[in-house]
Amino acid sequence: MSSTAREKSAAKRNGEHVDENGHAHGKAGEEASSENGELGAIPSFDVVMRIRRYNAEDAEDGTPVEARWEDFTVTLHGTDRVLDALHKIKWEQDGSLSFRRSCAHGVCGSDAMRINGVNRLACKVLVKDINPDKPITVEPIKGLPVEKDLVVDMEPFFQSYREVMPFLITSGHQPTRERKQSQEERERFDDTTKCILCAACTSSCPVFWTDGQYFGPAAIVNAHRFIFDSRDEGADVRLEVLNDREGVWRCRTTFNCSEACPRGIQVTKAIHEVKRALLTRTV
Amino acid sequence: MATETRTRSVVPKGTLYRGREGMWSWVAHRITGLLIFVFLLVHVLDTSLVRVAPEAYNVVIETYKNPVVGLGEAGLVGAVLFHAFNGIRVMLVDFWSGGPKYHRQMLWAVGALWVLLMVPFLVRHLSHVFGG
Amino acid sequence: MAAPLLEAPRSTPYRRSTSRRSNYEMYSWLFMRLSGAVLAVLVIGHLFVNLMVGDGINGLDFGFVAGKWASPFWQVWDLAMLWLAMIHGSNGVRTIINDYTQRDTTRMVLKTLLAVALVFTVVLGTLVIFTFEPCPVGPDGALLTGAPSFCAG
Repeated sequence: MSSTAREKSAAKRNGEHVDENGHAHGKAGEEASSENGELGAIPSFDVVMRIRRYNAEDAEDGTPVEARWEDFTVTLHGTDRVLDALHKIKWEQDGSLSFRRSCAHGVCGSDAMRINGVNRLACKVLVKDINPDKPITVEPIKGLPVEKDLVVDMEPFFQSYREVMPFLITSGHQPTRERKQSQEERERFDDTTKCILCAACTSSCPVFWTDGQYFGPAAIVNAHRFIFDSRDEGADVRLEVLNDREGVWRCRTTFNCSEACPRGIQVTKAIHEVKRALLTRTV
Repeated sequence: MATETRTRSVVPKGTLYRGREGMWSWVAHRITGLLIFVFLLVHVLDTSLVRVAPEAYNVVIETYKNPVVGLGEAGLVGAVLFHAFNGIRVMLVDFWSGGPKYHRQMLWAVGALWVLLMVPFLVRHLSHVFGG
Repeated sequence: MAAPLLEAPRSTPYRRSTSRRSNYEMYSWLFMRLSGAVLAVLVIGHLFVNLMVGDGINGLDFGFVAGKWASPFWQVWDLAMLWLAMIHGSNGVRTIINDYTQRDTTRMVLKTLLAVALVFTVVLGTLVIFTFEPCPVGPDGALLTGAPSFCAG
């Protein structure tokens, strides 16, 4: 592919006009070109980020203050994700903005937040995909105590996770060879191995918002991962944990969790399978 | 206990969660269920007047025969039908292995069935209520 | 200078009430679905007969009820509907109370009220269905006013 053809196709993707010489003349492109005075500059656009701010130290008399909205205008490119916008704000405008992130590539599960009302990973959502013409709201995930701005206390979430014993439980001597498993046996829990513990599912669950004691989808997903593992022998113990007053029977099948999961795990289906295992007492 | 109240108060209200069909059907299921339960309590009480005297029952039922209560009854039937059909959808989600996959389509089916039954019912019921 | 007092890690206020090791929630969940399926038939049948057949809502009076409960079929139908609907509804409201109340005392008070309402309504309804007299007579032995016409014959 020649450089002109490549430029043409790139401009086409951005919805710009291309003249016979192959130069882009989009609206955003023109703005960028006139600013920088060079052709072929990467188009950029301005977007308002409406961020939910909270800081316990704001209060003068020590009582917690109400969280508030704060607007920031940032200039972004089509390739920028919500996390990039937050970085720009933190690095260039307001260094006090707090949020968690680590890998920034959708694997570590640190930056789950509520973007335009739904739980998403900030590092996976392209700003251009969520209508940048309107202010983009960014809030902390629901149902967990907020510590500062977008940072929540994850401890209730991880406590539920620990309680389902997310580790291999076996009996007898340690084998001298690997524990074998057929492809079909592995297939049963393949979906739930993808969990990155970002809490997007648990904090999207209406039952979890009002009843923080509920184990939540993520803990059930991680229990599912071991309950249906043919090498594991702790299924009964885990099922008993989830048979609790705050266990799987709390699930109201609202499907918020399945829609929120950045890894595309069929969370409600996994919970359904755990319920069925409890009803029939067979794994 | 004190610490718990503190942590709870720190959760900011924020905006409404933009859940999809599954969440809103659950909200509607909950509201209709509560509505029907309250009606049921009243309904058992007024029906038990038949044990007091035929006149007492007839007098109370006669006060119900006005357009306001008539519209309320239409709303109640709408709530009952939605709650029943959505309940069947929830059962399919829970017991049928294909349920979680087709839950959205099943909600549209619930809506279609609801309209299909409400139209003839409303025609007949409202003609009774307003036709005297 | 004394070192600042730091909370030990993991000594958080989040404690789940200990598991009671019973299948209570499972049976409650199962009951909601099974009773729901039966109720869908019973209630829709009830609505159809009372509101769609005959004169609809205008046909309702003591005579209508007496005519229905003269048959054991409708007595059993209404009795089953009463019990299942009340337990189904109370169980649903119990879930709602569990979800939205934050203080233990509020929860206890609401659940007690709910239990009282459940027992009162079920007992009252059952008594009415079982002791129902389609042709009630006054102390003088004459039919009360409003009694259905078929009593005279």
